[in-house]
Amino acid sequence: MTSTIAMTTGILLVLIGLFAILTQKDLIRIIVGFSIFDIGVHVIMISIGYISDATAPIIENLSQLGQSYVDPVPQALVLTAIVIGLGISAFMLTFAVFMFKKRGSLDINSFRDLKW
Amino acid sequence: MVEPVYLIVVALGAAFSLGLLRKAGFVMHHLVLLLSLATMTAISAQWTVGLFTGSVSPAAIPTAGFSPPISINLQMGKTEGFLTLLVNLSVFLSSLFMIKTVKRRSVYVPMLMLVFASGLNGIIMTRDLFNLFVFIEIMSIALAGLIVLNGDIQQLGAGFKYILAGALTSGLMLIGIIFTYHTTGSLNIDTIANALTPELKAVGYAGLFLIFIGVLIELKPFPVNGFGLDVYESAHPAVGAVVSAGAATATLYAFAKIAIMSGDLFLELSMVVGAVTFVGMNVVALQQKIANRLLGYSSLSQVGLLVLVWSLVKWQNIANGDLIVLGLLVTHAFAKATLFWLSGIIQKEKIEDWGIIKQRIYLLFPFAIALLALIGLPPFPSFFAKWELIMALAANQSHLAIALILGGSLVEAVYLMRWFGHAFKNTAAEDETLSVSFCQLLPVFAGGLLLIGLGYPASLLSATASPIPWMLTAFVLFTFAMEFLPAKIKNIIVMAAIAWYGYPLLTTIGGYRVIFAGIFVIGALVTMIPGFSHKGNRLGFYPSLTMMFAGLIGIIEAKETMSFFFYWEMMTVGSYFLILRGKNSKPHALSYFLFSLGGAYLILAAFGYSFGQTTSVSLDTLSQVASTPYAALVMLFLSIGFMTKTASVGLHIWLPGAHAEAESDVSPMVSGILLKAGIFGLLMTFIALGDQKIGFVDIAYVLSWVGAISALVGNYLAAMQEDAKRLLAYSSVGQMGYALFGLSLMSHLGWLGALSLSVIHFTYKVILFLAVGGIVYRLKTKNMYEMGGLIRKMPITFFAVLVSIIALSGIPPLAGFGGRWVAYNAVIEKGWMLQGAIIGFSGIIAFLYLFRLIHTIFLGQLKDAHRKVKEAPLPFLLPQMLLIGLVMFLSSRPHTFLAPIGEIVKEFKPDGALTWTGPLAQSHLGYWDGVMVMWVFMGLFAANFALLFIMNRRAQPVKQFNIVYAAERPARPETTHFAYNFFAPYRRALGFLEYPLATHFFDGITDFLHAAAGFIRRLYTGNGQTYLFQIVAFVVVVFLLANGGF
Repeated sequence: MTSTIAMTTGILLVLIGLFAILTQKDLIRIIVGFSIFDIGVHVIMISIGYISDATAPIIENLSQLGQSYVDPVPQALVLTAIVIGLGISAFMLTFAVFMFKKRGSLDINSFRDLKW
Repeated sequence: MVEPVYLIVVALGAAFSLGLLRKAGFVMHHLVLLLSLATMTAISAQWTVGLFTGSVSPAAIPTAGFSPPISINLQMGKTEGFLTLLVNLSVFLSSLFMIKTVKRRSVYVPMLMLVFASGLNGIIMTRDLFNLFVFIEIMSIALAGLIVLNGDIQQLGAGFKYILAGALTSGLMLIGIIFTYHTTGSLNIDTIANALTPELKAVGYAGLFLIFIGVLIELKPFPVNGFGLDVYESAHPAVGAVVSAGAATATLYAFAKIAIMSGDLFLELSMVVGAVTFVGMNVVALQQKIANRLLGYSSLSQVGLLVLVWSLVKWQNIANGDLIVLGLLVTHAFAKATLFWLSGIIQKEKIEDWGIIKQRIYLLFPFAIALLALIGLPPFPSFFAKWELIMALAANQSHLAIALILGGSLVEAVYLMRWFGHAFKNTAAEDETLSVSFCQLLPVFAGGLLLIGLGYPASLLSATASPIPWMLTAFVLFTFAMEFLPAKIKNIIVMAAIAWYGYPLLTTIGGYRVIFAGIFVIGALVTMIPGFSHKGNRLGFYPSLTMMFAGLIGIIEAKETMSFFFYWEMMTVGSYFLILRGKNSKPHALSYFLFSLGGAYLILAAFGYSFGQTTSVSLDTLSQVASTPYAALVMLFLSIGFMTKTASVGLHIWLPGAHAEAESDVSPMVSGILLKAGIFGLLMTFIALGDQKIGFVDIAYVLSWVGAISALVGNYLAAMQEDAKRLLAYSSVGQMGYALFGLSLMSHLGWLGALSLSVIHFTYKVILFLAVGGIVYRLKTKNMYEMGGLIRKMPITFFAVLVSIIALSGIPPLAGFGGRWVAYNAVIEKGWMLQGAIIGFSGIIAFLYLFRLIHTIFLGQLKDAHRKVKEAPLPFLLPQMLLIGLVMFLSSRPHTFLAPIGEIVKEFKPDGALTWTGPLAQSHLGYWDGVMVMWVFMGLFAANFALLFIMNRRAQPVKQFNIVYAAERPARPETTHFAYNFFAPYRRALGFLEYPLATHFFDGITDFLHAAAGFIRRLYTGNGQTYLFQIVAFVVVVFLLANGGF
C-alpha cells in the first residue's frame, strides 16, 4: 500500500514537473519544474525497492540477520541520483544567472540566437 | 599491461589535482592536461595492440573487491580498447589545438576536459546500467561547461538547451533503469541480457524502452536534435571536435550495449530512426551556409548512419558487422574532428568565405582528405567499410537499405563538395590574414594522416576484399611528397613513372584491355607535354593528375570488382580536382563529381548484387550473373553507371561545362582519354552479360536509342555553341553516342566500329582541344565570334584542326571513314534502320559544327586586337604534331589497327567478322580498301591543288579594310559578326532539340530537395522549450510506432 502511494505520488510529480517544463516560459520556473520532475523520479526509485514492514538494510549485529529488509540497491542509487540532480539544478541556475546578466531577460523565448 | 581502470583514475585524479594547482599557471595546467591525456592514450593503445595481436586476452575489471553482478564491473575487450584509444586520442589532439586559441585562461578548462575524458572512458568500459547513467551525466555536465568556454550569449543559450534536454532524457533513463532492475533483479548489462526471457521482456518492456529511448535521444536523432545543432554551431571548434569524435563515439557504444542487452527488441526501431536521421539530416543540411552548423548536420547524419548500419548488421547477422561499423566510426571521428579543427583555424562563419584557406594552401590537403573520407572514397577506412556493407546487404537482398545508404551519402556529397568548391575557388578579401600556430597544425595533419594510414589495415580486415594493387596508390601518395618541386620537374617524373609502369602493362595485358591501356598510357604521355608550358610549381596539379591516371590504369589492371571500384573512384576524385582547377569551373566540377559518384554507386550496387548471386568477386566471373535472376538489374545498373562517364544523353549535363571550363591541357585529358573509361566499362559489362531483357524490353535495344539520340542531340548542340571548347565538349557527347550505339548492336562489326572510334576519337579530340587550347592561351577568349582570320597567324594550328575535323567527320580518306564504313555495315546487318538513320543524320549535322570551327576561327577577317598574335607555344604544338602523325598513319594503313581490333572482338563475337586481304576489307555487304582510297584522294587533291595554284595567280588580293562601313556603333558588337548565331536558320527548324530537358529534370530534383530542406529546418526554431516538447513527442511517437499504436 505504502509503495503504491509512493509510486503514484512519484508519477504525479514527474507529470507535474514535465508540465511545468513544457509550459513555463521563465527560466527559473523551468528549473523548478525540472526539480519537481527529478524528485518524482527519485520517489519512484524508492518505491520500487520498498517492502512493507521491512526495516532499513543496516545490520549492526548478527541477531538482526533473519529480519526482512527493503532492497538496498535503489536506495543507494537514489543517493547518487539526488546528488547528480542537485548538481544539474545548480548548474542550470548558474546558466540562468549568466543568461540574465547578458540579455536582461529570463524568458526562454529570448534565447533564440541559433536556429535552423 | 596497465589496468584499464587507470583510464578513469588518471583523468579524475589529474582533474582534482588541478584544483590544488590553481595558482600554478597556464603552462602547468596544460602540461598536466596533455600529459594525462597522453598517458590515457598510451594505456588504451597498449591494450588495443595487445588485444588485436592476441598477446593479451580481454579483461573484466571488478570494483570494490566483489565480482559482478554484486559490484560494478568494467570491461576491456577489442572494441573497448579501440574506442577508448579513439576518444582519448581525439581529446588529446583537441586539447593541444585549444592551447593557443582559448580565450579564458582558467584552470577550469583543463579540468573540464579531463572530467569529460573520464566520462567518455567510463561510458565505453562500464558494464553496469546505473554506472553508465552516472558516466553519461559526468560527460554531459563537463561538456555543458566546455560549451560555454567563451561565455557569449549564443554559447550560454546552446549550453542551457543542452543541459535541459539532457536532464529530461536522463530522468527518463533513470526511471527505465529502476524498472529494469525491478524486473530482472540486476543492474549488470550482461546479467540482464542473459536473464531476459520472452516473458520478462514483455513485463519489463516499458523500462527497457525508456533506457533505450534515453540513450537514443542522447545520440540526437532527427528531428529531436535542435539542441545538438546549437552546440555544434556555437561551441569552440575544439569542443565541437570532441563532441563529434568523442561524445558521439562513446554514446554510440552505450547505445549498442543497451540494444544488445534488450535482445532484439529495438533493432527494427533503431533502423528506422537511424535511416530517418541519416537521410533527413543530409537533406536539411543542403540549405546550410554556416560552416560549424553544417558540420553539426553532417555529424548527426553520420551518427544516424552508424545507428542504421549497426542495427542492420545485427539484424541480418552480417559476419563482419562490427568491423564495418568501426570502419565508418573511426573515419567519421577523425574526419569530423579534422574539419572542426580546420574551422577553428579558418574562423569564418560562412562556407562561402572559406576561400581564405588558400593563404595557407597546404591546409587544402587535410580539408580534402577529411571531406573525401566522409563521403567514403578510397583509400580511407570508410571506403572499405561501405564496400563490405553493400556487398553484405546485396547478398541479403536489402534493396531499401542499399538505396537509402547510397542515396543519403550522395546528398551528403552535394554539400560537402560544394563547400570544398567554395574554399578552392572563392577569393578572400585582401586585408584578411590567416594565422596558424604549430599547436593547431599538428592535430589537423595528424587527423589527415590517420585517415590515410588507417585505410590500409581497413583493407586487410575486410572479408570480400581482394589484394589491391597498392603500387599505384603508393605513387599517388608519393606525388604529394614532391609537391615542393617545380612543375617542369614534376612533369618529367610523372611522365617517366607512367611510361615505366605503362610499357610492361601494354605488352602483357592482352585482350580488349590493351586497346584502352594504349589510349590511357599513350594518351597520358602525349597530353602531359603541354604541362611544360607552366611556370611555378603548380601546387595540387600533379597529385590530382596522378590520381586520375593511376585510377585509369588501375581499372585496366583490376582483376576483382573491389580493386576495379577502388581505382574507378580514385579516377573520379583525381579528375574532379583537375576539372575544378579551371577558372569558372566551380559548379561544373561539382556536377561532374555528383554524376560520377551517382554512377559509381550504381556500379557498386551492381557489383554487390553480382557478389550476392555468385559469391565471387572476380571480374572474370561477372558473366556468371547472366544466368541468375539479377542479370538484367546488374546490367542496367552497370550500364547507367558507366553511361554517366560517357555522358550519354540525359546524363550528359555535366560534360559541356566540365570539359569547356577546365584548363587548356586538362580538357584534352578529360575529353580524349577519360571518357573512354566509360566505354571500357560498358564493353566489360556487355561482354560479361550480353543481351538482357527487363520484361519484354531488350536493354541493348534501349541503349541503341540512347546512343542514337545522344549522337543527334550532342552534334546539334555542338553546332549551336558560341564557345569553341563547349562546341568540342558537345561534340564528345555525340561521338560517345556513336560508340554506345555501336556497342549496343552486340555484333562483331558494331563493337569493331565502337572500339576503332574510341581510338580515333582519342587522337582527334586531343588534337582539337589542344589546338583550341593553344588559341585560347594566346587570345584569352573562348568565344568564336571574337576570333577570325587566324590562318596566317597560327598556320600549324590551322593545319592540325583541318586534319582532325576531316578525321572526325568520317569522310575519306582519313581514319574516321573506316569506322563509319564499319558502322554502316553493322547497322544494315543488324537491321536497326531507324536508329541507324538518326546516326547518319547526326553525321551530317556534325559537318555544321566542324565547318564552323574552321571557318569562324581561321577564315574571315582578322580582329584588330589579334594582329600581333603568335603561333601557339611549342608544348601545345608538339603533341598535336605527334597525333597528326598517328592519324595519318592510321588513315593510310587502316588495316594495321582495324584487323588486330577485329581479332580481339572475334574472341567474343566471332560471327560477321571482316576478312582482310592486305589492306582490303570485305564484309558480306561489300569491300573497302583504305590504302587505295588514300591514294585516289591524294591524287585528286594534288590535281585540284595544282589547278587552284594556277588559277590563283589571276586573283586580286584585297586588304582587310578595303571597304567602307557606315553604321552606328552596335549595342552588342558580337551580333554584327557573321559568326554569331551562325546557324540561326537551322535553329528555327530544330530549336526544340535545344530544350534543356535533362537539365530541367535534374534541376527539378535539386530544387525540390533544397525547398524541402528549407521547409524542414524550420523545426529547429531555436526555442529550447520547443525542443523539449519535440523530445516528449518523439518518445510518444516512437513508443506508439514500436507497439503498433498507429
